[in-house]
Amino acid sequence: MYDEDAKGIIFNIQKFSVHDGEGIRTLVFLKGCPLRCAWCSNPESQSGKPEHAFNPARCLTAQTCGRCLKACEHGALTLVNDMIMFDIRKCVQCFACAKACPGEAQKIYGETKSVREILDLVERDQVFYARSGGGMTLSGGEALFQHEFTHALLRAAQKRHIDTAMETSAYAPYSHLAEACKHLNKLIMDIKCLDSAKHKAMTGVDNAQILENFARVCQDFPDLPILVRTPVIPGFNDTEDDIRAIRNIIPLKATIEYELLPYHRMGQPKYGYLCRRYPMEGKELDKEKMKKLREIAFGLPMDIPGQNKA
Amino acid sequence: MSQVLSPQEDRVLNKKVDRKGRERIYKILERNQFTIPHVDVERAKYFTESMRTTEGELLTLRWAKALKNVAEKITVWITPDQLLAGRVGKLGRYGILYPEIDGDFYREVLGNLAHRDKSPFQVDPDDLKVVMEDIAPYWEGKTYHEHLNKTLPLELRNVTYCDERGLKSKFVVSETSSYRSALQWVPDYKKVLERGFIDIQNEAKERLAALDLTNSTDLWDKKPFYDAMIIVCDAIMIWARRHADLARDMAAKESDPKRKAELLQIAETCERVPSYPARTFREAVQCQWFVQMFSRIEQKASAIISNGRMDQYLYPYYKKDIEEGRITREEARELLECMWVDMAQFIDLYINPTGVEFQEGYAHWEAVTIGGQTPEGEDATNDLSYLFLESKREFPLNYPDLAARIHSRTPERFLYEVALTIKDGSGFPKLINDEEVVFLNSIKGCPVNEALDYAVSGCTETRMPNRDTYTSGCVYVNFATALEMTLYNGRMLHYGDELVGLETGDPCNFKTYEEFYDAYKKQHINLLQKAFQQQVVVDRLRPQHFAAPLSSVLHNLCMENALDLHTEKIPGGVDYSYFEFLGYGTIVDSLAAIKKLVFEDKKLTMKEVVDACRADFKGFEPVREMLRQAPSYGNDDPYADSIARDVDRICQLEAIKSSKERGIHVDVRYVPITSHVPFGKVVSATPNGRHAWTALSDGSSASHGADVNGPTAVLLSNYHSKNYDLINRASRLLNIKLSPKSVAGDAGTKKVMDLIRTWCDLKLWHLQFNIVNRETLVKAQKEPDNYRNLLVRIAGYSAYFCDISRELQNDIIDRTEHENV
Repeated sequence: MYDEDAKGIIFNIQKFSVHDGEGIRTLVFLKGCPLRCAWCSNPESQSGKPEHAFNPARCLTAQTCGRCLKACEHGALTLVNDMIMFDIRKCVQCFACAKACPGEAQKIYGETKSVREILDLVERDQVFYARSGGGMTLSGGEALFQHEFTHALLRAAQKRHIDTAMETSAYAPYSHLAEACKHLNKLIMDIKCLDSAKHKAMTGVDNAQILENFARVCQDFPDLPILVRTPVIPGFNDTEDDIRAIRNIIPLKATIEYELLPYHRMGQPKYGYLCRRYPMEGKELDKEKMKKLREIAFGLPMDIPGQNKA
Repeated sequence: MSQVLSPQEDRVLNKKVDRKGRERIYKILERNQFTIPHVDVERAKYFTESMRTTEGELLTLRWAKALKNVAEKITVWITPDQLLAGRVGKLGRYGILYPEIDGDFYREVLGNLAHRDKSPFQVDPDDLKVVMEDIAPYWEGKTYHEHLNKTLPLELRNVTYCDERGLKSKFVVSETSSYRSALQWVPDYKKVLERGFIDIQNEAKERLAALDLTNSTDLWDKKPFYDAMIIVCDAIMIWARRHADLARDMAAKESDPKRKAELLQIAETCERVPSYPARTFREAVQCQWFVQMFSRIEQKASAIISNGRMDQYLYPYYKKDIEEGRITREEARELLECMWVDMAQFIDLYINPTGVEFQEGYAHWEAVTIGGQTPEGEDATNDLSYLFLESKREFPLNYPDLAARIHSRTPERFLYEVALTIKDGSGFPKLINDEEVVFLNSIKGCPVNEALDYAVSGCTETRMPNRDTYTSGCVYVNFATALEMTLYNGRMLHYGDELVGLETGDPCNFKTYEEFYDAYKKQHINLLQKAFQQQVVVDRLRPQHFAAPLSSVLHNLCMENALDLHTEKIPGGVDYSYFEFLGYGTIVDSLAAIKKLVFEDKKLTMKEVVDACRADFKGFEPVREMLRQAPSYGNDDPYADSIARDVDRICQLEAIKSSKERGIHVDVRYVPITSHVPFGKVVSATPNGRHAWTALSDGSSASHGADVNGPTAVLLSNYHSKNYDLINRASRLLNIKLSPKSVAGDAGTKKVMDLIRTWCDLKLWHLQFNIVNRETLVKAQKEPDNYRNLLVRIAGYSAYFCDISRELQNDIIDRTEHENV
């Protein structure tokens, strides 16, 4: 099969993104993730399949519309006290409600698209990439979850001379990561925590594979620019020891940058739409602490002016 | 998430003012910045006094005599702490009257001026008496506005005005020529700086002497014209000299030695300029200010009068003074800021209620042009360009408006400082793209070297000061009404059973989108033809009512041909006329929704759409939701953008026909200023889900909230909706609103620069930014007293948020804020 014909499931394409790689970029969000990070800000990305979500704030209410109630044949949508209630346990993901909804209250996260369709969209902004050094960044979910599709996407993008970057948890077989790296202009990967027990507790997976992948990538792709990121999560890895430990395994090299991402709760409403509970309820990141951690992260000799911009 | 504030928000919210090094400027500013402006009647009084006595003479000559009368009698002012002389009204914010335009409104409007809700003015009771008993009676039956109203045939008047006297606009095909004497204008300041008025006057004298007075044209047309030129030169020199005399008198009485020295310096400067060539930066600035202020006495140009390429014509004086140690950079800046604070006190007073609706917030924008290219095509940026940007960042007053010309080789530093200034959040500078403007202006007939030397003028317009000759206020066409008339067989809900457009049939009987579009096109072209017919009447009437001897004496072609600038045709000139397109995004999104939902997907019937719009979506909320989901302009969606291009094409093809017929060049433009708000008030609900009577989309920007794919998509939609094979196009106003967070830090500045570079590559005419948090605007609406000095970008100019009406405030709040940067 030609790379351009390969198909995969994505849940968003976001233009004019400037925090994930060089210049003005288009972010392609791929669906599916093997991790279950408690702080995940894209809960809709975790499942590998399209899924239904309900956003009551966008709903016209049952009184003025109610089309979804009529469309649902499985009792997943019911009227309780004049309010539309969504019961995920009864939902069979048939999306009849989303098709009936005149607006965007009943929504499907995830749609199948070919590499060609995605790159045609990405390419529309190429005049901006040319001026800013931008391009396409793959994100997720876990970009390597649909690894064959991701590889096809990256290969085809390079053929079209689109700058490529990928955000990954690096939790994947090394061969999957390596094939991607061959077609990347920049790798953005997380190292969340060195303590394997904590890592497993907060993300659902062990960190051994991730750390091994990082070491091998550094060795096998010495010229590939890598941005290592640590999301700083209250109660998980927000201690000085945590950050210092991560900092110490990052090679001192001009091609490798390190960045701390402060915990935020912008993904919280989406848990509600998906009928899920937000695991980090009530948690907040201490600003002073974050400041201190940044000092630790960048106070070391690796600090190259203009490189570490967290 | 913690909120990121723009520097402006930080200043306003935390009441920070850095007065250091600007003590004088703040003293002048704070003395009267936020008072309600008052009307000064002296200009109208002395102008009228002279006009009474000269009836029957050549209009240009009458005008010159009237200006001389004003120059001799108007009160001259040298105000405390000021280093420049040349205001034309009492202390505080003030406006002046031009009864020759719309004096017939005075009886209705003037007494109530203090109480109107938009842009109020106070009138002194004694002055009011002068106006009512002395000024207004003379002009009754003689004003341009009355003449126009009488001349327009019924079928044109019916789409122009609501009432017989033409006091109320219909907001369908709106004329704008009766609330201003002329379009925006830039006089050739450089000529005055280099030659002075004595030399210019000598030229007029020589031309007069060379006439053959046995030839009747020379005797009856040219002689009085050159007489007028000579008189107007006298007028401005007399006026300047009176300032010198006053300064000497004041100096004699002044006890403070420092101020005494300043007054003597003012006297010396005013004795020198504008009669003789300027020698120093101080003289150059004072000379420019005299010319600019006297042109305000001459006529009410739209947006008043622009400053032209200030960083170019002032630079030789600046450079020389700096090199010879005559002035410091700070002193130069102070002189310019002395000009800004006096400029801020002059308010463009609209008597005509329609004029008020068109430009809210005491709008006037004396655009200062910086950057761009030299007439030879080299980059023109110099140290003064940076000084203007610096002044704007450190002293962000609403005047003057600042316009940066950008081209493909604009230096990085200039772009960086432009981006930095934009990030301040008060809306300056606006950006004008040489790559589009120079190409268009030259291909339409202007010599390339002059096209390269254009000045930004008014809102987003441009002027070549010795080549442009078209000055008629142009027509605004509300094409959203054409769409509405397609739904209701030529009628509008706001005007009941009256047939405003054409009967194109019941759209519910249309079988295809093509049929619907064809009906729309008929309505559209019908309005456009009416607009052109109206403009022809305007073009013919104006020269009978308006003359501009000062602007003419500074224009090469007027002097060569002995013709007033307001003459309909001046040999060698370029006449770029235009019409304004209102409701672009609204129409495109409505057409896209109908095409997709009714004719392609068949999810809705035409009847459902019409019923829903008629009911303003009450009981049809799901229909509205579906309409709003349809493809829309501003998202780089070829579906909507191709419709946008088609609509633009209808306009251009009609403009080509009209151009041929009239022997001028007619363009379509998308620059509503603030009129998309009042124009929206006559348009019922539209099929893009827009509620009845709310604002239309502004300029070439997307409908409110429709642009959900970020600023790159907004720019690309604009790009893809243009017709590159046609040249009957000009300015497209484009607003982008960004959150301060999205452009924070150096990385953010770089993103703004990247956006601007790409915008330049895309050859889009204009771009301006609002960088402000939505929360700030909402709060400012609730607690205006705490936000008096919050500036926002409106449309080619910035105004104080608290000076504009609630509707326009909402309009700005509702512009999509792009977060994702």
